[in-house]
Amino acid sequence: MFLTLVGFSVAILLLESDGLENWANRLEPGALRCVAQPIASALNRALRPLGIADARNRTLDEAAHLGWSDDAVRLARMNPTQTMDTETAASQSQTSHAPSAGTRPESKSVLIAAAAAPIVGSVPHSVGLVPLTPIQQGRTRVVVLAGDSMMAVGFGTDLMRKAGEDKKLRILRAFKSGTGLARPDVFNWLDQYPAMVGSEKPDVVIVAIGANDGQSFVVDSRVLSFGSEEWRKTYQSRVADFLATVESTGARVLWVGLPPMRSEPFNQRISIVNRIAYTVVSHDPKASWWSTASYVADASGSFREFAATSNGGLVRLRTSDGIHFTEEGASTMMAVLMRWLDPSPESSNAMRRLPSANPLQPRVPNRPAKSTSETSGSLIADRTKAPASLAHRGQEP
Amino acid sequence: MLFPTVEYALFFLAVLSIAWSVYRFPKVHKGFLLLASYAFYGFWNWTFLPLLIGISVFAGVVAKFIQHSNSRGARNAWLAVGVTVCLVVLGYFKYSTFLLANWFAFRGWFAPSPPRIPIISPLLPLGISFFVFHAISLLVDCHRGKVTEPVELGDALLYVAFFPQLIAGPILRASRFLPQLAVRRNPDAIRVNRAFLLILSGLFKKVVISNMLATRLVEPVFSVPRSFGAADTLLAIYGYAAQIYCDFSGYTDIAVGCALLLGFHLPRNFNAPYKATNPQEFWRRWHISLSRWLRDYLYFPLGGSRKGPLRTGFNLMLTMLLGGLWHGAAWTFVAWGGLHGLLLVVYRLWSRSTWHELIAIHNSTAWRWIARILLFHAVCAGWVLFRAPSFEVAFDVFRRLAVPGATTLATTPVCIVLFLGLAGQYMPSRWGNALEVELGRWPALARGAALAVVIALIEILGPTGVAAFIYFQF
Repeated sequence: MFLTLVGFSVAILLLESDGLENWANRLEPGALRCVAQPIASALNRALRPLGIADARNRTLDEAAHLGWSDDAVRLARMNPTQTMDTETAASQSQTSHAPSAGTRPESKSVLIAAAAAPIVGSVPHSVGLVPLTPIQQGRTRVVVLAGDSMMAVGFGTDLMRKAGEDKKLRILRAFKSGTGLARPDVFNWLDQYPAMVGSEKPDVVIVAIGANDGQSFVVDSRVLSFGSEEWRKTYQSRVADFLATVESTGARVLWVGLPPMRSEPFNQRISIVNRIAYTVVSHDPKASWWSTASYVADASGSFREFAATSNGGLVRLRTSDGIHFTEEGASTMMAVLMRWLDPSPESSNAMRRLPSANPLQPRVPNRPAKSTSETSGSLIADRTKAPASLAHRGQEP
Repeated sequence: MLFPTVEYALFFLAVLSIAWSVYRFPKVHKGFLLLASYAFYGFWNWTFLPLLIGISVFAGVVAKFIQHSNSRGARNAWLAVGVTVCLVVLGYFKYSTFLLANWFAFRGWFAPSPPRIPIISPLLPLGISFFVFHAISLLVDCHRGKVTEPVELGDALLYVAFFPQLIAGPILRASRFLPQLAVRRNPDAIRVNRAFLLILSGLFKKVVISNMLATRLVEPVFSVPRSFGAADTLLAIYGYAAQIYCDFSGYTDIAVGCALLLGFHLPRNFNAPYKATNPQEFWRRWHISLSRWLRDYLYFPLGGSRKGPLRTGFNLMLTMLLGGLWHGAAWTFVAWGGLHGLLLVVYRLWSRSTWHELIAIHNSTAWRWIARILLFHAVCAGWVLFRAPSFEVAFDVFRRLAVPGATTLATTPVCIVLFLGLAGQYMPSRWGNALEVELGRWPALARGAALAVVIALIEILGPTGVAAFIYFQF
């Protein structure tokens, strides 16, 4: 067995030195990374002249060519006429002429300002949504769902299901679990997003991202500790860059604020991520903030796992990990969200007809309420519009 | 720590090296494996380690009391205490909010007033269903006298926490595992090639087949069934049948292979389940360690088939309903168990028919194939309930089978892995044995290098990222 293991270890180091270095680079800053990263880098440097890593890359290209890869950037680079979304190949997009991967759109001046703006002290509970224009007759509104597992689990699924009932909406999936904006070395959204969307020109991009971003990262060989001034500035600039990327095709952006989390230390981290994202979004006239806490938090704005239904039952709003939305939790927001995406009266009627497992939903006002504080007559995604049945602890509209 | 990750590979290589360095000192060896198992579990979340240790210590101590009790009454009492505590722990973590939510729903029919207390469900410790079942197995096997040697506390701890099977089985019997701890490991007796083949087969099933089917076929359809027609829906149902088999049996293959390299034998958990021609045979081939556990510790104590046909039917239904609930605190799992219970009851009636024409049909080859296909589709119907997050989605999936529509998801790679996932079960087992013998003729270094090449290929063919194993949630 010993010799077999020796043969295995030598061969796997030769074959996977590139992959091993990638793995080490992806580790969070810490003891393991401190040990693994220099070793893996040195090993890869030493073995690179053998050409095995290049051969491995060519094999990956070949595999991608035959349809075995889900790496959007690799696919876009290899075949600019075809791209695929990352979470699944079930994208409803008809793609062609993907932009070359790796191009970064120039940040607009507003986003440059947003990237440098002082970070807000807190995220308001009620934020106005500037209404979208009605969808013209015979046209469809292309909506991209982008983000990490906060989009993939519960929220995106329910939204796709509801949007599937509205013929005027076409949903494209561009989400990837386990990603974020803090670690472009692991998954670079600035490259991946254009590759995922291809030649589509989305009208709206809904972004739910950031739950994995409460971590330190390395910039120029220096560890920026989570929450430090430098970390905040770097992260803020990454959020602004990402926003510029998704807006580069002229889309309006709806940024889904992260809800309060069950674990308090994690919640504190998420609150910093939220404040930074809100700072950037609030400086951008093309982007709106969606306050999910208004729907799923309790009266004090804290984490809530269950809500009471109008008939005295319980409905689970959050998955048992205390992080993601359940579909029922997401459902509490969908009526308002769907009316924002398609403000036509037929849409409201369709929403009323939708079968739903969520007993809270029928209690959601079917007409968007106007804000008394917003001169633009914007939709309000706030506590005052929360479903009446969530009102058992003083949340009555 | 997931099996198909660099972290696990490094962890396992380190454990393997150290374990075989100290195997001559059994106490040190077992102590080291126990620490490694706790490190493996704690890598995910240290906060639940006290629970794992607590359950193991409790089961070990109660097992000793059972063994040392002279009277039958005392043994029964200790068993009752032990099993009750284990079930209460499992019930609290896994079923308390499910019960509470159903209680409020039930109460709402009569007095619709919302609950006044904020309800937070306990975080579900990883693998709790498995390690609690191990603890119960220890208690029951001691009570039945199947564990003949006095139970050592350290052995009991290692039995419950042994890392290859800790998270998702296979469910070990104390009576089968503890005797292995009593003898010194013998490195020369290990079927190294068998272990490597199992690990490779498991990795391929999980990383390539299961992950690709999940991301490219099953997840899209089950997320938004209404976006797909009959062809894609049917393909996704078949896809999930292949996915869950490859996912779970892949995990088991890796677990069995790793345990084998450490010198331990874990029971076989799958035996080409979709080749079964009747529900009884299916459960002898699917998740074998669970179905045997349910049979021995639930079905038989209920009376099995000894108390008449009606009681037998009841026992079968109850066993399968509870088996369904074991998988998760949701009514869809209960319905899945109920469907399998019903299949078992119907099959029992059918197979006991004395009508000669029917017996002739039973025994024909044509019928065996028809039965195999029928059973596979019945099992697939169950998988829809198992996979769907709610009955609404499950019924949506069933309804879409009646909506014509060409397939949009049947790409070549998807079709290939689907074929491999299902048809692979018809691969003769002698092929595996022949490969093992052939590998045995190779020089050891070349064998290791070949193993590395296959792992590199698996990594290339698999989708990016590693999805957790389906059975981790149970």
